[in-house]
Amino acid sequence: MDFFDCNACFGISQVPLSLRQATTAEELLQEMEFCGIGEALVYHIAMRDDSPLVGNELLSKSIQGSENLHGSWAIVPCQTGEQEPSHAFLRKMRQHGIRALRAFPSKHRYLLDGIAFGQLFRALEKRKIPLFLSIAESSGGRAGWALVEQLLLEFPRLVLVATDHGPWGDDRFFRPLLDRFKGLHIDTSRYELDGGIADFCDRYGAKRILFGTGFPAANMGGALLTLSSAEISKKEKELIASRNLRRLLEASSP
Amino acid sequence: MKNDSQLARDFLANGKSSSCPVIDMHGHYGPFQGIYFPSSTAEAMVKTMDRAGVRMIVCSSHASLVDPARGNPLMAEVVRRYPERFRAYWAVNPNYPEQIKHDLSDYENYKEFVGFKFLADYHRYQITGPNYQPVLEYANERGLIILVHTWGRSEFDSPSHLEKIAERYTNAKFLMGHSGYGEWDRAVSVAAEHDNIYLELTAAYAVNGYIEKMVSEAGSEKVLFGTDLPWFDPHYGIGCVLFSKITDLDRHNILHRNAEKLLGL
Repeated sequence: MDFFDCNACFGISQVPLSLRQATTAEELLQEMEFCGIGEALVYHIAMRDDSPLVGNELLSKSIQGSENLHGSWAIVPCQTGEQEPSHAFLRKMRQHGIRALRAFPSKHRYLLDGIAFGQLFRALEKRKIPLFLSIAESSGGRAGWALVEQLLLEFPRLVLVATDHGPWGDDRFFRPLLDRFKGLHIDTSRYELDGGIADFCDRYGAKRILFGTGFPAANMGGALLTLSSAEISKKEKELIASRNLRRLLEASSP
Repeated sequence: MKNDSQLARDFLANGKSSSCPVIDMHGHYGPFQGIYFPSSTAEAMVKTMDRAGVRMIVCSSHASLVDPARGNPLMAEVVRRYPERFRAYWAVNPNYPEQIKHDLSDYENYKEFVGFKFLADYHRYQITGPNYQPVLEYANERGLIILVHTWGRSEFDSPSHLEKIAERYTNAKFLMGHSGYGEWDRAVSVAAEHDNIYLELTAAYAVNGYIEKMVSEAGSEKVLFGTDLPWFDPHYGIGCVLFSKITDLDRHNILHRNAEKLLGL
């Protein structure tokens, strides 16, 4: 089975994310090879911990020419002039082959809403560009999912992938949102709930859940064996392992 | 895949390995307040265990963590239904010391329990406090196991709190639940320095590199597998063990051999 990780990063973080990190793209690739994970949609931790704009450049340089690592960029509101207005930013994404974005609103101190990002997010809806949002980064649990709810109420067609929603089973938070917003997806990185993946697929099908490891905060093997051994069909596993992410990235047209 | 572990290959191919009958030293049972469980009945837990090649699990019921008088008999009933698959911890609630006296006299009436479960962080009561003392003395006299929920820098049950009681009650066997999550150096050194303290992996397994540190500094003989089932799919924790950079000998120690010795299986 092909594994395409939607949630991994590399680089030197301000505070260690775990006891063993990948400081470079090459080290991340070695970890992936050890586990048999072929591809990953990645970010550079400098995008979160240093500066989103410096980090975006570092990311693109670090993975240039790689067939296995695919880039995603961080966003900030364009009103400060740090990031280009929507049209120019999308052009820059095209030039660098970027098809997915990430938001770190707590760390980068902005409001993730239509006032700050209206033009860009309308473009994301229209162009089907996925936005990855770490629930843990937004204080986790109730605060993180409330942010998802507010964002999707404003932009109901947004393709939003909620990552890092923690091991304590957030189903009571996200299931009502999945019922309401068809563009909402989750990743598997810390979705450790016993029987959770199978239960999710029974209710929502296998197309709205993406394989993610949460590396380097989490050991890649956990998400890997959980999906490999889930009580779902081979076809469902393949969708989650790689095909869903590949479909989202192919549909994305900055 | 460059991981050359035969165990990893077995588990990836079959979801389990006949050479590795996993023993889970940290389980629960029944519904709980803040989470939706698809599979919290005993029958569903056995089904999960079968899928993951888990031979046996040692549990405290969720009910017992609130009301031991109601919850511990529920757990005993599960062990009686599945004597080859379940063992139990007798949970105590230190906020009701009068009940603890009854707990200890009741404990004698049950054969299903291997020791006690402390959940001091949730009960907001230090494990070094006097209300735990009768239980510690009881367990110490009989050489019983105590699974202690621990958390790094907790004011109730940090690795340093555990060290204090383990040094005083040397005949009891202490499992450091969650391996002192977050206080990695201290947790491993406390386990390495005390024969009667073991690192228990629930939740801690996910922290990349932590299992390697445990094995390198405390030895794989001091590490026990656990999952909090029905919270966490055993495959998640097993996957973390299989894809840590340790040997298959270490993996066997962690996943079943150490627990077999502790439980006398």
